Amino acid sequence: MPVDKSVIGSCVGVRRVVVERGPVAVFAEAVTDGDPIYRDAGAAAEAGFESIPVPPTFPAVMEHWGSFAEMQPESTAVRPVFGELFGPLLERGGLLLHGEEELEYFAPVCVGDVLSGESYIRDVYEKVSGDYTMTFIITETLWTNEKRHEPAVAVRSNTLVRTRSTPSP
Amino acid sequence: MARLGYDETAIGDEAPVKRHRLTRTDLVRYAGASGDFNPMHHDEPMARAAGQPSVFGHGMLSMGLLGTALTEWAGPGSVVHYKVRFSRQTWPGESLVTRVVVTGRREEGGRKLVEVDCFLANDEGEQKVVGRATLLAG
Repeated sequence: MPVDKSVIGSCVGVRRVVVERGPVAVFAEAVTDGDPIYRDAGAAAEAGFESIPVPPTFPAVMEHWGSFAEMQPESTAVRPVFGELFGPLLERGGLLLHGEEELEYFAPVCVGDVLSGESYIRDVYEKVSGDYTMTFIITETLWTNEKRHEPAVAVRSNTLVRTRSTPSP
Repeated sequence: MARLGYDETAIGDEAPVKRHRLTRTDLVRYAGASGDFNPMHHDEPMARAAGQPSVFGHGMLSMGLLGTALTEWAGPGSVVHYKVRFSRQTWPGESLVTRVVVTGRREEGGRKLVEVDCFLANDEGEQKVVGRATLLAG
C-alpha cells in the first residue's frame, strides 16, 4: 500500500521545554559521561559556560523532561501522523526502529534555557527489502532559545516500522 | 570550551577508544533518562514475543555512548553537527567499542572546525552506528 505523501509538511508537535540540572546529570550518567561539567555549575563556569551545558544528544530527549503543561502554547494544531501511519503497522506486529538521527547545533544549550520547538514531517516513504516492508517517517524539530532569541538546535530523525510483507496473491 | 587543538590535530588522528559492556541495567537507565519506554528495550518477554532474541539497546543510547567519546576528546559543547545511521541493534552482553577518526579540518566564520567519522561496533567488528561529526577546536 503506497504511503500517503500528503502528510509531508504537517506540523506534528509544538512545545516549550525548560532545561533543568537534574535531568542533565541523569542523562550524562545514562550515556556514561562522568564529566563534572554536566553536574557542577562551578566546573561549567571554569570551562567558559554560562551554566551547565547538555550532552550532545540531550536535545533529542529534552521534551520528556521539561515540557510542563502550564508553559505550553495554547493552540497546538498538530496532525498525529505517527499514530495514523505507524499505528496500524504496529498493530499488525510491526517493529519500531530508529534509522538515522542528526543534530545540528547553532548555539550551546544550557541548564536554565527555555526552548520552543516545532516538529514537521519532512518525508515519508516505503522500502521493500527481502521479506520485509519498511515504512519511514522523517521529522525535523527546530528549537529556538527564547532567552537569547536565536536558533539553538535542529534535530532530524528517521524512524521506521518494519513489517513482514504479505505475499502477493 | 574546546579541548581540541586545531593546529595539533591532523587528518587520520583518532580519539581515545572508549569501551563499554552493555547491560540490561544500562537499557533501563537510558529508558528512564530519555523517556523512551518502548518495551523492546526493557521487557524481555515482550521482546521475545516480538521475535527478538532479547531486549535490545535504544539507538539513541548507542549515539549517546559515541557522543560521549566525542566530547571526552573534544570537550563538552564542542559538537556542532552530529549525524548517525543505526545499522544494527545492540544486545546486552556485547562489548561496544568507539572509533573516531579525523577526516578534515576547516576554518569557517572565524571558527576552527574538525570533521570526524565515528563508529560504534561490537568487539567482533560488527558496526552498530556509523556517523560523522563536526567539532569545534581551539
